[in-house]
Amino acid sequence: MLSPEVARSVIDYALSLGADFAELFVERQLRSTLTTLSEKVDSVQSGVEFGIGLRMVFAGKVLYGYTNKPHADELKRIANELAVKDRRDPKVVATAFDFRQVEALHSGLKPLSADAMIDAKIEFLLAASRAAQRAGAQITQTKGTQLQREQHIALFNSEGLHVEDTRHYVRAVMVAIASDGSAQAHGQKDMGGLQGWELADAVDAAALGAEAGRQALVNLSARPCPGGEMPVVMGNGFGGVIFHEACGHLLETTSVAKKASVFHDQMGAQIAHTKVSAVDDGTLKNAWGSINIDDEGMATQRTQLIKNGQLTSFLVDRLGSEKTGYARTGSGRRESYKYAPASRMRNTFIEAGDDRFEDMIASIDRGIYASHLGGGSVKPGTGEFNFAVQEGYYVENGKILYPVKGATLISTGPKVLKEISMVSDNLELACGMCGSVSGAIPTTVGQPAIKVDRILVGGNA
Amino acid sequence: MSTQQIAEKVLHWVTQQNAEADLVMQTSQSLTLKALDGRLDEHSVNSSFIVGLRVVSDGQVGMASSEAVDDESLKFMVGQALINARFQAPQQHERIPQISGQERAEEPSLLPEDDTDIDAKINFIVGIEQELLAREGIRNVPYNALSDVTYTQALFNSYGRHTEQQARRIMAYAYPLAENNGQTAMAPGVMAGRHFLELNAEQIVTTAYDDSRALLAGGPIQSGQYDVIFAPNTQAELLGAFSLMWSGKAAMDQVNPMRDKLGQAVFDRRLNFVDQPRNISGLGYEAFDAEGFCTAPVTLVEHGVLKTLAHNSATAAYFDVANTAHAQRSAKAALSVGLHQLHLLAGDASPDQLHEGCVFEVTQLDGLHSGTKPISGDFSCGASGYLWRNGERVQSVRGVTVAGNLYQMFNQVVTVGNQMLWNDSRSSCMAPIRFADLSVTGQ
Repeated sequence: MLSPEVARSVIDYALSLGADFAELFVERQLRSTLTTLSEKVDSVQSGVEFGIGLRMVFAGKVLYGYTNKPHADELKRIANELAVKDRRDPKVVATAFDFRQVEALHSGLKPLSADAMIDAKIEFLLAASRAAQRAGAQITQTKGTQLQREQHIALFNSEGLHVEDTRHYVRAVMVAIASDGSAQAHGQKDMGGLQGWELADAVDAAALGAEAGRQALVNLSARPCPGGEMPVVMGNGFGGVIFHEACGHLLETTSVAKKASVFHDQMGAQIAHTKVSAVDDGTLKNAWGSINIDDEGMATQRTQLIKNGQLTSFLVDRLGSEKTGYARTGSGRRESYKYAPASRMRNTFIEAGDDRFEDMIASIDRGIYASHLGGGSVKPGTGEFNFAVQEGYYVENGKILYPVKGATLISTGPKVLKEISMVSDNLELACGMCGSVSGAIPTTVGQPAIKVDRILVGGNA
Repeated sequence: MSTQQIAEKVLHWVTQQNAEADLVMQTSQSLTLKALDGRLDEHSVNSSFIVGLRVVSDGQVGMASSEAVDDESLKFMVGQALINARFQAPQQHERIPQISGQERAEEPSLLPEDDTDIDAKINFIVGIEQELLAREGIRNVPYNALSDVTYTQALFNSYGRHTEQQARRIMAYAYPLAENNGQTAMAPGVMAGRHFLELNAEQIVTTAYDDSRALLAGGPIQSGQYDVIFAPNTQAELLGAFSLMWSGKAAMDQVNPMRDKLGQAVFDRRLNFVDQPRNISGLGYEAFDAEGFCTAPVTLVEHGVLKTLAHNSATAAYFDVANTAHAQRSAKAALSVGLHQLHLLAGDASPDQLHEGCVFEVTQLDGLHSGTKPISGDFSCGASGYLWRNGERVQSVRGVTVAGNLYQMFNQVVTVGNQMLWNDSRSSCMAPIRFADLSVTGQ
């Protein structure tokens, strides 16, 4: 994609301008997307993306530029333009490249570059669609999306790093829409992994569609949700978005280094209930948020973030390490060559506990069981977060009574982590996209079912 | 190679395959500056190009894109688009429009001459950060930036249509973190324009500081039903989350609840929504849509009655109605529909009348992407803002949620403001509305 000779000349040039550190991120990505509407193929698209990102660091200041042109002259022009206010005598001499072979931890048996397999993908989505329609006569429409990407990256830096990697991503989403003639509601189920289309061999398309259809019908019959502070049991799997928003983002050195996280000075402190242990693990085989190396070329790892409620690690990228003094955790990630890397999550989840789900529900006098959560967001500086309940039920006197709709949960990270009083043993992971300063990246969230003793439920009953 | 040459080459190859096509080409150059601790912390300079091809072959549509413009990459893109087309269900209504002629958006204010140098821009953003840091109770300003983007959007088709619009957007923002006794709060100051001189550092600082400090003292209000006014940014964001209701494409896909309501009273009769693509005061100005049609004002709702949905040529043909020139397509996406610059026309209520009695003014909405259900109209989001009583701001509010149903809410109108206001990004211009009886959950 870019010869080491060209990379060498550009990095040498960047250092000659006085940079302390220089790095090239070269990316070529194949992409295929198809969508279905009920029984018909709605769109089929594909594309090739290519570009090079140049990062230079001058005394902690980041200069970043990118281009689609893989020529030394163009890259040097960008370096020159970026350094216009920072040029100084050279401080660092580049180290010779030492090419390192990346250990491929994740399979890509049916890669996009070999065969887009559009027929098979269409059949997968249509099978899911038919199953969703079979969920009930009130299912009026389905929308299927299938995405496959193959990302080739090469990294060169002034410390002699030269490493290349290939990442295969597959994802499918089925949305079912239900209508009773006046009201409409939807349900959604998705799957994804860091692997080729062979993922479909392990997934039952009909089960995917049936789940989307079931959820749409439940939501169509849901009543407005009561509001107020109350206990909430959050289901396993995508329920882990609560930890992602309430805590994960606040542990990224992108926020910590700027003291823009409420946890920036809490290392070693008891920030959560003793039942809470959490990790961010980039090594899980074929998991959606896994990587072989991060986007700064460091091998990924399993990072214990919280152990028995105590903060044990941040998520640390190169610059975060320089600014905070904590060791890098292989967490430098970016959407594409258009973004400088930043510390980001990979597969982040609360570890299994030993409480029983039935006991959680039985312990509630008046509250909510949020079996499936939607997305959310957080303000790292204040820790305020919110997320939507995609499928929820009203619970009274220890019994699940009826489905509710229109519920949002809000709180702050420090508060909710201490309100998690029960953690069950049914750990499950779910895939999602996380948007932040370095773009939208694949991340996994997860948890066993947990009980939060008090959280504000925004409803409209 | 110029965009014209790329287009001629690609369209020639497509024609050789007995197909027709159009090409979207997007070019941009951008500068981003961020400050930290009184100095420049990030400096980013970027240039990008992407071409998106849509082919129609035997009634089937396929798409492909490329960021590389060498012959091999472009031929690969054409081949991919033609292969993709074979898999799509035959489209009875989606065709490459048979329109021709070359037109450029000539409005000079889209790309004003501006010789502001990099030093002035660096000083601007560093100055904002320093000014905020110097004020009482500000711990830091973790999020701030000045971004300056010049972009060109061009379209070429097999029938000789070529449209092009070049424009610039410059924006600055700052989010100071206010702190007092362990409590923290954050609110933005944002400005956008087409010329550097349109940005006012003092206004950004004052807005961000005042709102952050005010929120710091805020807390939840009693749960209940409240009259609510959404500030210009939040009203635009909320309507943006429900933009599906205007979409002819969503109607064609049977997921738009407005599909069968043409000519019916859908909202309060005091509401008039108009899309104004060519209001040059806005940063969403678009002279052409993504199929090369010239844009014009379109009345969507008049006195509460739905007059039309937004259409591209395919959805218009499907419903056998007029094309409203709302085709939307990025290089990587399929043909869709989108508004340009939504306007909500002014009513007759003065600001004092809007704030009579007790009303909750929502200045920030959190979780819109997940807390809104465009198909059902339900929404439930985190909110902050101010409680007003008899024309006075009496309390800062945070830690609450506001919930309702958007389609019902537009029939719960108490009054419509007599001034139209742009949101910070100047993408929509709307009169504020006071809505009755939205559910607020607090303490």
